[in-house]
Amino acid sequence: MNSTAETVPVISKVRLGRSTSSALIGGGIAIVAALAIMPYLLDERFFYHIAILVCFAAIGASSLHLIIRTGHVSLCHAAFIGVGAYVSANVVMKLGFPFVGGLVAGTLAAAGLGLMIGPVILRLTGKYFVLITFLFGEILRMVFVDWQSITGGANGLSGIPAPAPVFAEPKYFYALALLAATACVAVCGRILSSETGRFVNAIRESEQLTECVGVPVIRTKVMIFVIACGFAGFAGALIAHYARYISPPNFGPLESLNLVIMNVIGGMQTLVGPLLGAIFLVLVPEFLRGYVQLQHIMFGVILILVMAFLPAGVVGVKDWVARRMIPHDRRGEQ
Amino acid sequence: MLSMLTNPTILGQIVVNGMSLSSIYILVALGFTLLFGIMRVVNFAHGEFAMLGGFAMYYLYAVFSLPWVAAILLAPLAVAIPALFLEWLVFRWFYQKMFQSMIGLLGLSIVMIYSALLTWDAFERNIPAAFDGILRFAGVILPIDRLVTIGVSALALGAFYFLMVHTRIGLAMRAAAQDVEIAGTQGIDTRKIYRVAFFVAILLAALAGALYGQVYAVSPFMGERPLFVAFIVVILGGMGSIPGAALGGLILGFTESFLGTFYGGSVASYASFGAVILLLIFRPWGLLGKPE
Repeated sequence: MNSTAETVPVISKVRLGRSTSSALIGGGIAIVAALAIMPYLLDERFFYHIAILVCFAAIGASSLHLIIRTGHVSLCHAAFIGVGAYVSANVVMKLGFPFVGGLVAGTLAAAGLGLMIGPVILRLTGKYFVLITFLFGEILRMVFVDWQSITGGANGLSGIPAPAPVFAEPKYFYALALLAATACVAVCGRILSSETGRFVNAIRESEQLTECVGVPVIRTKVMIFVIACGFAGFAGALIAHYARYISPPNFGPLESLNLVIMNVIGGMQTLVGPLLGAIFLVLVPEFLRGYVQLQHIMFGVILILVMAFLPAGVVGVKDWVARRMIPHDRRGEQ
Repeated sequence: MLSMLTNPTILGQIVVNGMSLSSIYILVALGFTLLFGIMRVVNFAHGEFAMLGGFAMYYLYAVFSLPWVAAILLAPLAVAIPALFLEWLVFRWFYQKMFQSMIGLLGLSIVMIYSALLTWDAFERNIPAAFDGILRFAGVILPIDRLVTIGVSALALGAFYFLMVHTRIGLAMRAAAQDVEIAGTQGIDTRKIYRVAFFVAILLAALAGALYGQVYAVSPFMGERPLFVAFIVVILGGMGSIPGAALGGLILGFTESFLGTFYGGSVASYASFGAVILLLIFRPWGLLGKPE
């Protein structure tokens, strides 16, 4: 999928990641602390709400980032978020379990579905994977609409209880969401910096070569896919109990695409990319409220520009400038 | 169900519906597969060009009340000629970059949908039927507008076939589809080929949109369905394969017509999605495509 031209920067990035890992961890802790305090300083309901949305987007985008790092772009990630949301809402509302039960059930359901389809669809690569996940997401959306007894059909499910009465207040839910997002991003970061993470990078560069070296390619890909889907389900359960109303469009292809956009805009080669993308994609619509069409048009233009000129995203600006300096350098085809 | 199948009226209806659906599907899918085969571009904005074709038809026929034949000839041109500017502005950056083109052209699709929404609002517009009435033939009732759809598509497909097989530019396009670099070394101007292929692809998509808009309705979101269809047809037939697009369109059109008549549209959609997913797993290069 990648040309050799792109192999070199990736290898250097891996080294860079290892030598500066303690600095990165320190920086991460500082950012999380700043994020944790910021809405409390502003102390307004609206800012808590935005911050919570950023946390949800961060979980979705960083878990999708895991899949993208194996070289597979999934266009059905929001559908897995939907599975987690519907399962958790049903477990809590119909079976009477507490919130934690719903959270675990939603996570396991999405991960289980990932485990069921992963071994089959992960044999496809490149464009075929994009197409099959696009169709699978569409099928799941149709199931959300058609399976009325469980999902409430097109009207959706309303009256989902908050995790606990105290969390009905966004001020307190934010603490929960931040904790969840931090844990999720930390786990993703840990996976990517482990030996498995190096397998993942190797698989993206060349599956055949990685297989020859003795890495169980399919097993690694399925494992990553299942973990990512589990996180999606986890985010879904949180979303269901925060929004307290869910309906099929929340988990449709446009939402899946938004998660991809977060990765694309931020940059698909480091975990920082999707986090920047998540912040950007949540904040911009809030500033452009009342101009919904213009906002979509702007996202579209950004997607075109980033894909045409900056395939590595905002994080890759430095590399792009460096590459422009070198004459006759062919940009890698993905 | 068996008695329904042997009933010539219903059977005739299914076949005619299947043919007219198939012919529209083939028009959409041919352009999609042409862009993929020659430029390696996955045109996620293909449905939006069909949408523009629908709007062009709406203005030419329903608003300016041109004769129907003139409208159906001018509508595709009214989309494809300005689209050449879009080719220069957007598409040329994505040639031979499959992955970037998918995401970038999804962006273009969003831009086009929401620009259309700003311009025309969300409500649906109807293009009045040009031909009502039915034709009775050997006990089978044939709606004339469906027959006209089939006829127009057949003419367009015939012209496309002639262009690809019997002209020098068609030969050059087929050469470029096989191997762009080798074609370039043989003195073929690939930039020109790209532009011609793009023009033809958009022409076909806009024609499909004009026909589709007259059967159903015109709205900024109407491009979604043609895009899905193009996807499914092209995966069925094999990405980049032109006979594959024809075969895939026929299969999908008839499947939807049969299952839709007997079990409803929802079952038809599940069945076609399911079949395509199975095909992707076992034969990802499609029925008539070549494995990479």
